[in-house]
Amino acid sequence: MNPGYELPLDEAAYSFGFLDEYAKREVRRAILKAVSIPGYQTPYASREMPMGRGFGTGGLQLTLSLIGPGDTLKVIDQGSDDSVNAVNLRHFVELTCPGVDTAERTAEATLIQSRHRIPEAPLTEEQLLVLQVPYPDPLVVVEPSEGKRKIMHGEGDYSRLLTKLYEDIVQFDEITISHRYPTRINGHYVIDPSPIPRYDVPRLHQSRALILFGAGREKRIYAVPPYTVAEPLAFEDVPFRTEDFREEHGNRRACARCGAKDSFLDEIILDGGEKTYQCSDSDYCNQQLAMRSAAVEASA
Amino acid sequence: MGYVAIKGGGRAIEGSHAAVEALRAAEGEAGTPLSLSTIENQLRLLTSRVLSEGGLYHPRLAALAIKQFQGDTLEAAFALRAYRSTKPRLLETPVQDTSRMRLIRRISSAFKGIPGGQLLGPTYDYALRLMRLDLADESSEAFRAVARRFMQGVPDTALPDSFPKVVDALRAEGLLPPLAPRTQEAFDITREPLVFPVPRSAALATMARAETGSLLAIAYSNMRGYGDVHPTIAELRVGYLPVMLPHPVTGEPVEAGEALITECEVVAMYEGNNSDGPPVFTLGCGACFGHNEVKAISMAILDRALQKGMRDGPRNPSEDPEFVLLHVDGVDSMGFASHYKMPHYVTFQSDMDRLRTTQSKAKASAKGVLA
Amino acid sequence: MPELQTPAADTQGWMPLTQQRVFRQLMNAFAYPGRIEPLCPGADAQGALTRILATLLDGEVSLADLDAQVSPLGWARLEVRRDVPERSNFVLARGDRAPDFQPRLGTLESPEGGATVLVRVGALGRGGELRLSGPGIRGERRMAVTGLDPAWIEARSQWNGAFPMGVDLILVDDRQLAALPRTTRIHTEGAR
Ligand SMILES: [Zn+2]
Repeated sequence: MNPGYELPLDEAAYSFGFLDEYAKREVRRAILKAVSIPGYQTPYASREMPMGRGFGTGGLQLTLSLIGPGDTLKVIDQGSDDSVNAVNLRHFVELTCPGVDTAERTAEATLIQSRHRIPEAPLTEEQLLVLQVPYPDPLVVVEPSEGKRKIMHGEGDYSRLLTKLYEDIVQFDEITISHRYPTRINGHYVIDPSPIPRYDVPRLHQSRALILFGAGREKRIYAVPPYTVAEPLAFEDVPFRTEDFREEHGNRRACARCGAKDSFLDEIILDGGEKTYQCSDSDYCNQQLAMRSAAVEASA
Repeated sequence: MGYVAIKGGGRAIEGSHAAVEALRAAEGEAGTPLSLSTIENQLRLLTSRVLSEGGLYHPRLAALAIKQFQGDTLEAAFALRAYRSTKPRLLETPVQDTSRMRLIRRISSAFKGIPGGQLLGPTYDYALRLMRLDLADESSEAFRAVARRFMQGVPDTALPDSFPKVVDALRAEGLLPPLAPRTQEAFDITREPLVFPVPRSAALATMARAETGSLLAIAYSNMRGYGDVHPTIAELRVGYLPVMLPHPVTGEPVEAGEALITECEVVAMYEGNNSDGPPVFTLGCGACFGHNEVKAISMAILDRALQKGMRDGPRNPSEDPEFVLLHVDGVDSMGFASHYKMPHYVTFQSDMDRLRTTQSKAKASAKGVLA
Repeated sequence: MPELQTPAADTQGWMPLTQQRVFRQLMNAFAYPGRIEPLCPGADAQGALTRILATLLDGEVSLADLDAQVSPLGWARLEVRRDVPERSNFVLARGDRAPDFQPRLGTLESPEGGATVLVRVGALGRGGELRLSGPGIRGERRMAVTGLDPAWIEARSQWNGAFPMGVDLILVDDRQLAALPRTTRIHTEGAR
């Protein structure tokens, strides 16, 4: 073959934010359209990133196109800053974006990239949430052809999706969608809000922060702008319900660590076989714990 | 009781990197590191595959990726793609003329005699798949003698620089439709997402860097009966294509380098007459970086099948552009398959909530029936 | 009208890190319509527009420059394709002239094909107020602007008559920008 081919000289060939400026510009243009058309899945070229499709490459391309010196980035996966994937993504941004700070405290972050959770602490107008999306289109369950789905979305025609929900109710007396709950944005587009639990869906409604969704493999970007109506699809007689964390006597379970009764809980099976519950959001748990121990000290 | 959090991710990753690197060097003292040139030459078909699926013509980087990822073609192609993401597109290449390829091999299964002649070249097609045990303990001397012997046997009469293309002859005879004038710019899949319907150029580009096995599987479904292309290989050629680019100052085309490519053109039975002219054969085209014959053939068959699907509506999966083009990319599909290994605690918690709720409702209504 | 990018003008707008900051301001402007974003300090009359154009445009998109606000050197540096407003992704126009063109609105299936129109206005934060509501606005927001012919408001409401199709506006003066995505409703109170 061609012996004349030389290797690139060094790693310095990678520019700030890994992506070349043309790629960032394309993502940025798509973001502006996504914000202008709330809930619409805006196509973009989606470059290959040095981690697997499905590991948050869509979210990462958003983050890298947005981030600059002066930003403080928080990366979470399953609510935790220290899970392998979150560590990996954060490390990559630290490597390619010199001058960017990282944080675990939700309140300190200007930019939050997350998989499967929206932080418990309410976000502010100064913050930006990027969610990683595996399947962007909620209509996929009722229509395999993308061409047809695009027409249904454009017309705001979700009758087949509602029929699907209704069939659930007939069969199970309950809507069985557990996560990725279809949610209508600004009265038009229905989105897949990414695999967040139903518990997090109400946080999309009238959020103070802009929420961006990136699907790298499926090459789509969409947005829920701040102060925008976000309504989970439901029926009058079978309302939308979030996860139920009550025990058999009807009392709300508390986090076994910090005692919070107002957080999404992970169910943990101990070695002995019994179950315990803890906050899924590790920063929230730490904050609650700190507040409680401060209160104990103050009263002592 | 301790906090059972998802913790220690950073340390776990470091440990895992060290472990996989240790396996690469597991031969220990007896081992010799692979040189990139060894990979590029002795594993040339592997390098070819990675070049083509990575969609970046850089044989040495492909060899490095193969070394780094211990021979995993999906991972190696992936690394090439990710490297490509960091590079801007400087210009659009003009249409390259494959009749100018410096061939190492070309065959036609349509005609015994073709202009320029058949050139069997390097292939395993007619080799017996018997184990050559002499290679198991090959000495350096024996290895070096192979190329030397071959070069001694090469006749002095030089091969022509290029060979005419078989399809041009078919076209001249009126058996194939004349070349349609280009009406659209070529679709660049690295700069634009596929939004269906897509032009044929987008389909060809997607297949050119598709994962070989995925492409083969779908093409095979068409060959076996989920489709009816019934192809004949008009020409399969492998060789070095001179890459012509406009000179930055004069704008005149100059040869900027060469790329090893494989090109396949299949001819299929004519379809129902959809225009005024006489019936003609139809053509399917496949081409990719490197020496990958199965891939080029699969691509040519699918090109034919997709053109039919685009015209008449798909009647089989292999004729459906969405089905084919969205499922043949190795980087996409392997990434997604791998992502299931990541934690899904939150979504599973949510799943359990739904199941328990519906279970308890089912129990309650069963009791109601009994009472 | 000031020429875009004369050789003596500041070149900050062409730097990747400037473009990152400008993009965040643009994005905030779209996320919170009517909020006025001050462009980076030091931006002069040419600088504000240059920053926005350099942040958004390259050879992948087309621009219609209705009032010749972009200099030949600016065109060369932007690498953007020149086209008529009916086909362009981006349209650049003066706000004090009534719009006299039909921008791309996108299609029902692909509304992102609707144009982004950059309107050069007199001043943001002064003059007649527009009352705005819609996504990104808590209740109602007032945005003052001068140098925007009322015909723009009328034309915009026609272009945006059939959501999701429509156009998105960026208003820019010498130093600041604001955005009016297609979802923003405008209740006029005599903007001049
Ligand atoms: Zn807790």
